[in-house]
Amino acid sequence: MASMSSKRLQKELTKIQGTLPPGITLVSAPDLREWVMDISIIDNPIYPPNETYRMRFSFSPSYPIEAPEVVFVVLAAPERKIPIHPHIYSNGIICLDLLDSQGWSPVHNVESVCISIQSMLAGNTKAERPPGDAEFVRSNRQRPRDINFLYHDPKV
Amino acid sequence: MSYLADDLKEKGNAAFRNGQFIEAEDWYTQAIQKHSRNPLIFTNRANVRLKLQRWDGAVNDCLKSIEITGANSQNHKAFYFLAQAQLALHHPHEALSSALTAYDQVRYPLSPAAKISPKDLETFSAFVLKCKKAKFSIRDRDRLRRQGDLRAELEETLETNKQRDLDDVSRQLENLTLGQVEASERNQEIMLNFDNKIAELKTVFAIVDPANHKPREIPDHLIDMITFEPMHDPVMTKMGHSYERATIYEHLKRSPTDPLTRDPLRMDDLRNNFGLKAACDEFWESGASEWIIDW
Repeated sequence: MASMSSKRLQKELTKIQGTLPPGITLVSAPDLREWVMDISIIDNPIYPPNETYRMRFSFSPSYPIEAPEVVFVVLAAPERKIPIHPHIYSNGIICLDLLDSQGWSPVHNVESVCISIQSMLAGNTKAERPPGDAEFVRSNRQRPRDINFLYHDPKV
Repeated sequence: MSYLADDLKEKGNAAFRNGQFIEAEDWYTQAIQKHSRNPLIFTNRANVRLKLQRWDGAVNDCLKSIEITGANSQNHKAFYFLAQAQLALHHPHEALSSALTAYDQVRYPLSPAAKISPKDLETFSAFVLKCKKAKFSIRDRDRLRRQGDLRAELEETLETNKQRDLDDVSRQLENLTLGQVEASERNQEIMLNFDNKIAELKTVFAIVDPANHKPREIPDHLIDMITFEPMHDPVMTKMGHSYERATIYEHLKRSPTDPLTRDPLRMDDLRNNFGLKAACDEFWESGASEWIIDW
């Protein structure tokens, strides 16, 4: 299976290096296991237009049959914060159905995941963290895809 | 007698698992000397010979194993190992044929007792694609070389003709049947004519030579949307989308849903897409070498 993920990612990389939708950039793809992407949000007052958010994609050898692990990361320089959103915990873990094993589909790709997250932020109207954020951030030791999220509010 | 052979085979298997390939080959050879009609020992020795890159020996063992079981019996491992050795020996035609036999035998097992590992279909499917690519690129190289030969020969002929005409003019000049001015005009004409023909020849070859063209992409409908590889055994979902059989099987094992619509989808719901398969085969056979193989 290892060859499946590397072949597929190699092809995605070639495509991504060509063109990406506005607001999405590839920061680095040092190998075929971990990529770093930046996204910015336009037209939503919750997110200042000059702020950019950094995401880290980690791929298992079974990608794309298995979902990639996607989290937001904090960085001092250049400054990257965790965007505020009722489905994004302050440690960067994203609660999005297409990233868990039930919601994932192998026809998704890095670009489509970025677009989904970008539009999830663009459509957000609540400048708040998920309920129980502090407790979750303190106690969670699980990898994001092993967490069984309760979707508190499917409308957000 | 065969009891002893089994013992030796087990020793070979143990050595193989430990990565002691030379020892393993030796145990299998001893086992074969004790009992030379067990196809499994030959397949196992073929496998270890692949590890040792003893391709000819591996081919012989696979053929022997297939001979013992009979060419139309379930022996997908032997055909798969055979394909690997044949590809390593630069025989992509034979390798493809062996790989397709192995693939078909796990796709439609010839006996219900066939021991097929869940990964086999996917592994063999990927190998079939590898053979197709190898075959394609070798054919392409051959064609380019042949074309190069043809071009060299044509240029040589033009060169000879030019020289003959020039010699002709010199002779006429010597015989005084041609004046100095007229002769130099004729020479110029011959040279110009020659240059034009060479240029035209180059243009003609450039038009048919893909190296001078920007390669086109493989059409999307021949690409499996999961692996992004060209398909060779496409199946269709209830919604009408097609995927490579081995990869959609792999997905359905984890999640019995249609990748695009998320509707429930089971393996039994998938249908062969013969029309698309024909289109895929045609693509590989088309000789349209301006296609990009690695999308």
